[in-house]
Amino acid sequence: MMTMVFDPASWLILLPLAWATLAFVLGAGRGARLALVGLGAQALLALELARRVRDQGAHAHALGGWPAPLGIELAVDGLAVVMLLMTALVALPLGLYARAYFGAKPKGGAWFWPLSGFLIAALNALFLSADLFNLYVTLELLGLAAVGLTAAAGDRMAVAAALRYLLATLLGSGAYLFGVALIYGTYGTVSLAALAPLISAEPAVLLALALMVIGMLLKTALFPLHFWLPPAHGGAVSPVSALLSALVIKASFYLLLRLWFGVFEPVATVGAAQLIGILGAGAILWGSLLALLQTRLKMLVAYSTVAQVGYLFLVFPLATGVSPEAGVSAWQGGIMQALAHALAKAAMFAAAGAMIVATGRDEIVGLSGVGARLPLTLFTFALAGVTLMGLPPSGGFSAKWLLLMAALDSGQWWWIVVMMLGGLLSAAYVFKVLRQAFLPAPGGSAVGRAPRALELTALALALGGILLGLFGAQPLALLEAGGGR
Amino acid sequence: MSRWLGVSVVLLCTLLALALVGAMLVLPDAPVRLPGEVAQRLGESGVDHAVTAVLLNFRGYDTLLEVAVLLLALLGMLAAGVAPLRPAPFAADPLLVALARTLAPLMVLVAGYLLWAGAFRPGGAFQAGAVLAAAGVLLRLAGFLPAWNAPALHLRVLLAAGFALFLLVAAAGLYFGAMLRYPQPGAGALILAIETGLTLSLGLILAGLFLAGPETPRARGGA
Repeated sequence: MMTMVFDPASWLILLPLAWATLAFVLGAGRGARLALVGLGAQALLALELARRVRDQGAHAHALGGWPAPLGIELAVDGLAVVMLLMTALVALPLGLYARAYFGAKPKGGAWFWPLSGFLIAALNALFLSADLFNLYVTLELLGLAAVGLTAAAGDRMAVAAALRYLLATLLGSGAYLFGVALIYGTYGTVSLAALAPLISAEPAVLLALALMVIGMLLKTALFPLHFWLPPAHGGAVSPVSALLSALVIKASFYLLLRLWFGVFEPVATVGAAQLIGILGAGAILWGSLLALLQTRLKMLVAYSTVAQVGYLFLVFPLATGVSPEAGVSAWQGGIMQALAHALAKAAMFAAAGAMIVATGRDEIVGLSGVGARLPLTLFTFALAGVTLMGLPPSGGFSAKWLLLMAALDSGQWWWIVVMMLGGLLSAAYVFKVLRQAFLPAPGGSAVGRAPRALELTALALALGGILLGLFGAQPLALLEAGGGR
Repeated sequence: MSRWLGVSVVLLCTLLALALVGAMLVLPDAPVRLPGEVAQRLGESGVDHAVTAVLLNFRGYDTLLEVAVLLLALLGMLAAGVAPLRPAPFAADPLLVALARTLAPLMVLVAGYLLWAGAFRPGGAFQAGAVLAAAGVLLRLAGFLPAWNAPALHLRVLLAAGFALFLLVAAAGLYFGAMLRYPQPGAGALILAIETGLTLSLGLILAGLFLAGPETPRARGGA
C-alpha cells in the first residue's frame, strides 16, 4: 500500500492542482515562487515516471481502487510519458521566463500563476487519462484555462480573441462529447481498455469517430479550422503565447493520435487519413504564406504555428494502411515534430516577447537595431528558426527526416514536395525577421534592454530544440519501451 | 456572404441531426452494463444513492476535475476583468427586500437538506451549491451583499476550500493504495465532508460569477 504514496503519475496531476489553488488563495500577482518549486518538482516526477516506464514498461492505475469499466483508469505508457516530459521540460523554463517577464511588465499577469497551474494540471491529466469521458473533462479544464490566460492580456482585442477562442474550443469539445455519448450508447462503457476489443464499424461508431476527429482538428487549429488561433496566440501576453503554442495545441493532437491509432484503428480508413493529410498540407502552405505576409512579429510567429501544425497531421496518411516500417517511421516523426515544435515555438515566442519588451512595439519594422542591442535574443530566434525550418542538427530536422523516410517507404512522394516547399517558406519568414533586426536602428529611436532572465530562458528552450536532434534517440527509445500504439 | 454561411450552417446541422437519428435507430445492445455493476458495488461506496456513489466515489476523479473547472471559470472572469451583464439592481424596492429577507434563510435550509439528502436520494453538493448561489444572487439584488471588486483573502479561502479539501482527500487516498481511494469504514463520512465543503465553495463560486465585477453605486441603497 505504501508504495503508492509516491506514485509519480498521481502526483503529476495533484501537484499542479495544489499549487494553482494555493496561488489563487495567495491572490493577484502572487505565487510565482510557489509555482517554480512546483514546476521543478514536476520535472523530477516526469523523469522518474520515464525511468519507471523504461525499466518496467507500461502500466495502468485504477483511481479510487475501482478498475475500469466501473472506475476511471490512468494509463502510463511510452507516448504518455514522452508528452509529460515535454510539458515539464518546456513549462519550467517558461515559468522562469514568465516570472522575469511579469517583473518587467506586470500587465496581464495578475492571475497568471493559478491559471497556468490549472493549465498544466489539465495537460498532465489529459496525457494520462484512459477514459473517454474523463478525457472530455480534461479538455474542458484545459480549454477554459487557456481562454482565461488569453483574456488576461486585458485589452479589447485580447478579450475578443479569447471569446472567439472560447467558442471554437467549446464547439470542439462539444463535438467530441457527442462522439463519447454515441460510443457509450453503443458499447455501454467509456474505458479505452474495455473498448479496444469491442470497436467495430457500426454506423454510430463511424459517426462518433467523425465527430471526435472534427472536434480535435478544430481544437488543434488544423487548416481551414485555424481561424481562432492567430488572434489568440498573437494577442496574448508573450509567456501565455508560448504556453498555448508550445503545449496546448499538442494536447488535442495527442488525443487524436491516441484514438486514431488506438481504439479506433480497426475503423480508421486510408481515405480519411489522406483527407487529414491534405488539410495538413494546406496548413503548411497557407500558414507559411500568411506568416510571410504578417507585419506584426507575434502574428508571424502565430501563423508559423498554423503551418507547423500541418506537419503533425502528415502522420495520419503516412502511418495508416502502410508497411510496419513506414508506419513506425511516420509515428516517430510525428511525435518528434510535436516535441521539436514545442521547444522551438516556446523559444520563438519567448524571444519575440523579449524583443517587444526592448523595442516597446510589436511591428516587425520596429525591430531595426535589435541585432546590435539584443544579439543573444536574435541568436535564440534564429536557432528556433533552424528547428522550424528543419535544418540539421535540430529536432525539427529529425522529425522531417523521419516523415520523409515514411513517405519514401510508402511511396507517397507528394507529401515530400509539400514538406520541401514548407521548409523554404519557413526559411523565408524567419529571414524576414532576422533581416529587419540586423538593419541599423534609425536615428532617434532607441532599442532598450531586455531583462537577462528573459534572454537566457528563451535561449535554453531554443538549445533544447537543437539538442533534441542530437539526442532524439532517447525519447524514441522510450516510445518503443513503453508502447502506446 | 453571411446569408450563405447561415444556410450552410443550417444544412450541416440538419445533416448531423439526420445522421444522429439514423445511427440511434440501429444502435446495438450494449455489451457492457454499468448500472448493474454500480448496483452491485453500491454497498462498498459508503452511500445509498447510485448517482452520488458514481459522482463522489466510482468516478470521483471526474468530479474533482469538474470542480476545478468551476473554480477556473471564476478565475478566468477575474483575469479578464470583464464586468458580467446583470440586471440593474432594484435595491430600493421594498417588496424585493422583504422577499429576500424571507426567502434567503429558507434557501439556506433547503441547501442544507439537499446536501444531506444526497446520501440516499437525488440531491448533493452541486444542487445544494446552486441553491446557495441563488440565495446569494437574491441578496445581491436586494442590496444586502456588495459586489466583489476583487475577492479578499477570506473570500478566496472559502472559494477554494471545497476544492482544496477534495484534493487533500484525493492525495490521502494514495496512502490507501490509489488516488481518491477512501478507507473502507469511513467512506460515507468522507463523502459527506467533501460534499459539505463543495456546497459552500460551489455556492460562492456560482454566486461569484454574478457578484464579481465593479461596484455599481446604486446597488447598496436598500441595505
